Amino acid sequence: MIEDIISLTSSTLIYMVPLVLAGVGEIITERSGVVNIGLEGIFVLSSFTATIITFATGNPYLGLLSGTIVGLLAGVLHGIVSVYLRGNQIIAGVGFNTLAYGISIMGLVTIWKQHGASPSVSKIPMISLKIREGLTFTISPLSIAAILIAIGAWYWLFKTTSGLKLRACGEDPKSAEAMGVNVFRTRFYATVVGGILTGLGGAYLTVGWIGQFTRHISAGRGFIALANVAFSNWNPLMAIVGGMIFGFFDVLSIYLPIKIQLIYPEVKITTLAYLFKTIPYIGTLAVVSLIIGRARMPRALGKPYIKE
Amino acid sequence: MSEEKRKAVEMLNISKIYPDGVVALRNVSLTVYEGEIHGLLGENGAGKTTLMRILYGEIKPTKGEIRLFGRKVSFHGPWDAIRHGIGMVYQHFTLVPTFTVLENLHLSFTSVGKKISESMIRRNAEKLMKEIGFEVPLDAIVEDLPIGVQQRAEILKILLRKAKILILDEPTSVLTPIETRELFKTLKKLKEKGITIIFITHKLREVKEITDRVTVLRKGRLVGTVETAKVSEIDLARMMVGREVFLKISKKPAKVGRKVLEVVNLWVKDDRGLDAVRGVSLDLYEGEILGIAGVQGNGQKELVEAIAGIRPIIKGRIVVDNVDVTNRSTVERYRLGLAYVPDSRLVGLVFDMSLVENTTLTNLHKVLTRAKRILWDKASEIAVKVVKELDVIAPSLNAPVKYLSGGNQQKVMVGREIVREPKIFIVAEPTHGLDVGATEFIRKTLISLRDKGKAILLVSTDLDEIMQLSDRIAVMYEGKIVAIGKAGEFSIERLGLLMGGVKA
Amino acid sequence: MSLVQFLMKFRERIRARYEEYLVIVIEILASAIIGFSIGALVLYILGFNPARIYFILFSKGLSNPNYLLSKSTPIMLTGLAFAIPMLAGVFNIGGEGQLYIGALTSLVVVTFTHNPALGILAGIVAGAALGTFKAVLKVYRGVNEVIAAIMLNWVTYFLILYLLTEKLYNPQIPHESIPVPEDARLGKIPTPIGDIRLIFFIAVIASLVVYYILYYTNIGYMLRVAGLSPKTAKYAGFNPNLAIIYSMALGGAMAGLGGSLLLIGYVYSIDTTMSTLFGLGFMGIGVALLGRNNPIGIIFSAIFFSMLIIGGEMIELLAGAPPELADALTGVIVIALALPYTYRMLISYMRIRRMMKK
Repeated sequence: MIEDIISLTSSTLIYMVPLVLAGVGEIITERSGVVNIGLEGIFVLSSFTATIITFATGNPYLGLLSGTIVGLLAGVLHGIVSVYLRGNQIIAGVGFNTLAYGISIMGLVTIWKQHGASPSVSKIPMISLKIREGLTFTISPLSIAAILIAIGAWYWLFKTTSGLKLRACGEDPKSAEAMGVNVFRTRFYATVVGGILTGLGGAYLTVGWIGQFTRHISAGRGFIALANVAFSNWNPLMAIVGGMIFGFFDVLSIYLPIKIQLIYPEVKITTLAYLFKTIPYIGTLAVVSLIIGRARMPRALGKPYIKE
Repeated sequence: MSEEKRKAVEMLNISKIYPDGVVALRNVSLTVYEGEIHGLLGENGAGKTTLMRILYGEIKPTKGEIRLFGRKVSFHGPWDAIRHGIGMVYQHFTLVPTFTVLENLHLSFTSVGKKISESMIRRNAEKLMKEIGFEVPLDAIVEDLPIGVQQRAEILKILLRKAKILILDEPTSVLTPIETRELFKTLKKLKEKGITIIFITHKLREVKEITDRVTVLRKGRLVGTVETAKVSEIDLARMMVGREVFLKISKKPAKVGRKVLEVVNLWVKDDRGLDAVRGVSLDLYEGEILGIAGVQGNGQKELVEAIAGIRPIIKGRIVVDNVDVTNRSTVERYRLGLAYVPDSRLVGLVFDMSLVENTTLTNLHKVLTRAKRILWDKASEIAVKVVKELDVIAPSLNAPVKYLSGGNQQKVMVGREIVREPKIFIVAEPTHGLDVGATEFIRKTLISLRDKGKAILLVSTDLDEIMQLSDRIAVMYEGKIVAIGKAGEFSIERLGLLMGGVKA
Repeated sequence: MSLVQFLMKFRERIRARYEEYLVIVIEILASAIIGFSIGALVLYILGFNPARIYFILFSKGLSNPNYLLSKSTPIMLTGLAFAIPMLAGVFNIGGEGQLYIGALTSLVVVTFTHNPALGILAGIVAGAALGTFKAVLKVYRGVNEVIAAIMLNWVTYFLILYLLTEKLYNPQIPHESIPVPEDARLGKIPTPIGDIRLIFFIAVIASLVVYYILYYTNIGYMLRVAGLSPKTAKYAGFNPNLAIIYSMALGGAMAGLGGSLLLIGYVYSIDTTMSTLFGLGFMGIGVALLGRNNPIGIIFSAIFFSMLIIGGEMIELLAGAPPELADALTGVIVIALALPYTYRMLISYMRIRRMMKK
């Protein structure tokens, strides 16, 4: 029993990292008034890049860095399209997801001649705490980093002047502009920051956790991160909680089949596992439908700011 | 006027041409002396707001030069203007509605590059408020405050930034007469402190009351600059409009018929969940115009939307031509003879759709076969009728209505209801934002409709319009009808007092 | 109304919207150009010769009319699945899931009844049901339709994967599902350009029906008004919520139809990795955007994208480059199509320059 709790907790802390990082990043972006649904694409592209670099250099930290840079570039692209070119933010995000998927698979096939998965690469080592004989508590250092980043983001958004300026852009950009805030620049930087954090989360997927790039490395996690943003009511602290809840669903989808297999060895688990894989999505949908009613989003979210 | 005053603002030969071809300003020059209250007068569309937005750095002039206290300046955005000591109070305030007043002050301060703590801002604000003599609750959320207080917060914000030049754009359009008096008191105090004030308005009375000099614009051009004391209201009106303005429309006495609309004890909530209409009852008869006067925001919009069926009713009854429609849909009410022309063209029209598609909006049932197919030929016939009756100028029936001028768009909205031959017309702000020609046309149209026996419910914040057109007048204040009677029983002064909540 | 009158009206209508059409043409051309330029860059980086690749793409893509038009069928329908709700103001990116469930229910129904018409009907109903479900979530629980769509896409994906591998697999060919019975399959019909699959024509008819609904019925009118201006819709007495539900139902029905046509008239079985179904929903988004959300435009846009897909497959065979190039190109084109304002700005900029010169 205790073993279950320990392993479930530590797994949740491992699984939640991309959801928290991308969630916090998108909170910053959306608080400034820009919506980026290309998170999924950033996950795919940054995890792919991290895998290549780690494969080539053998250094997972370089991989992590490269993935983060990819996220930065993606943020720059979305920022330019959404803020300066006044493009439709949703369509641009959808397009980016398709583009990122296409480029990554193209790369996968070209470089490794594989259609399903890349070879394994070295990972960032986990941190282990030995509780007693046969019982260890294992998390990734990025689990801690994600929580710290979320707390930092919360403090910055709500307790500093620059955070106030950013939030003004998302609530009422005309007033913000009239009060001297450079709305375009602020929104652009917010989008880039969101991209950086999401890129970090994506790189973590391969280089900090799974250990290889697969065709379905993200499998909708970018969108679960979006659900986390709404669930957290655009508050980075709540994004930690949300990340853990959604991450827990993900954990269940793996653990339940294994447990059931152990208890009922005659059940054919390999195919039944597919059913369990639906848990994170049903869970997310349930949470979004039942709990998020009162959420208050930034007033000017998603509308391009048009000056005369 | 004998001392040598400094020229605070000089705008020389300013022109502004927009990407879509509209010429907003052509060669306008303006000089404002330090410490004067300078009026900027003109009708809607004359270019007053555009000129000031150029001064404020919001818009770049296509041509021309600006000098502040003798030095040439070129602004890239409002923050430049703010740093040079210019502040602007718009009709729609630039306060973030979901933040508190203090957070807004904080935001405006630090955006100009100064690092100040919130406690310092609080201290400075309280000091300034004592000096000038007005109060603003610093910790209240802006959107919860009454408009007059929000405006004060806006002015406070600007003064805290050490503004020397204050621009006010139609500040009294959202105030009651009492709040207007308070505002003028404040402005006079600021003038004593040496602040230069530019006061944009289209209200002649205000120009005479508060300004030292006034510049008049018409259709983007400069008509002239005069000393307020040396001109009369009629002179100003002539400068503004360019021809003798007949302020009275001749109309025959009303021939009133049977009751066609009855509203009984209506209670309606606004978008924020607060009570906007509190127990309103009124009757409307054939052949009359009932004008509902009141400052924007006292429930008129919600009342009218409830009658049309667009807004749900909490309590009360609505009866159209002896049929209780309280629980009936909008479409059913339209079909029973109700027509509604909303105050906003954004609501009444679909800008990206063609003229034909727009006239079909409330005439859908006329062009539908039983199999629910739309007969566009028939719809075009209706559109042609509208264009003929209302003399609409449009490039084509199939061009999107966004290419029409405001006046023509309004004509489409009104005309489409007229061709339906309804019994009841509900019109809100029918001439808002229109030029004099279109305004006259629409008002004459309303009177001729009334002469034909239609019942008209007119909602307008323009007192002149109410007084010109109405046979009977009702005043709304804070969701209630505080007075109702024949038009002759109301003078402008009495209306002003009632609108401000004073029993008169 | 005579043909001459019709043409004259048409010409007048075009002249009236001349500027709108000009912008649309520029948008389409510009985005295609941008798309192909970036694709060329990516190819070059990966070590391929863009000219050679594009040559194969276009020449092979168009070489076989039957293949071209057959492949365009599902994406034409998923294009409609995105466009119809889009016109009503809703972002439906759930075409994937709606297509999957359409294919699955068709398979089951056709296996039991041997009747292709019933199978198609089942697919339509299933797709419409899924679409309606998402619409209800949006209207009554305020659930964002993008999140709901993706979640349901993955739920249906795994659900069907389970059913395929556990219950519906073909014992003789284990990596395929049970096949569509021979007597229920839809085949080809002869035409002047060769034998073309029936499903293409069904899809075209569906597009024309949708066009009719959108522009000649009161429901379509209501949808479009609600999509362009919800406030105006309420003013006119339309219920914007109904617009959401109807459009999602109709859109879902189209995607479901796409799935069932794909199954009954083309692939005849689903492979257990669902590779033949995967991605068709998202491609539909690109199709719809390039076709400017207009059903007629979508027909041609689908054929264009079909050319890209086929070209992509050929590239793999002939040059070893990955077929996902088609996805990459689609992605860039979609991003480029997110920039309507830019083109409008360009046109107005050109107009001011002309005016200032006067």
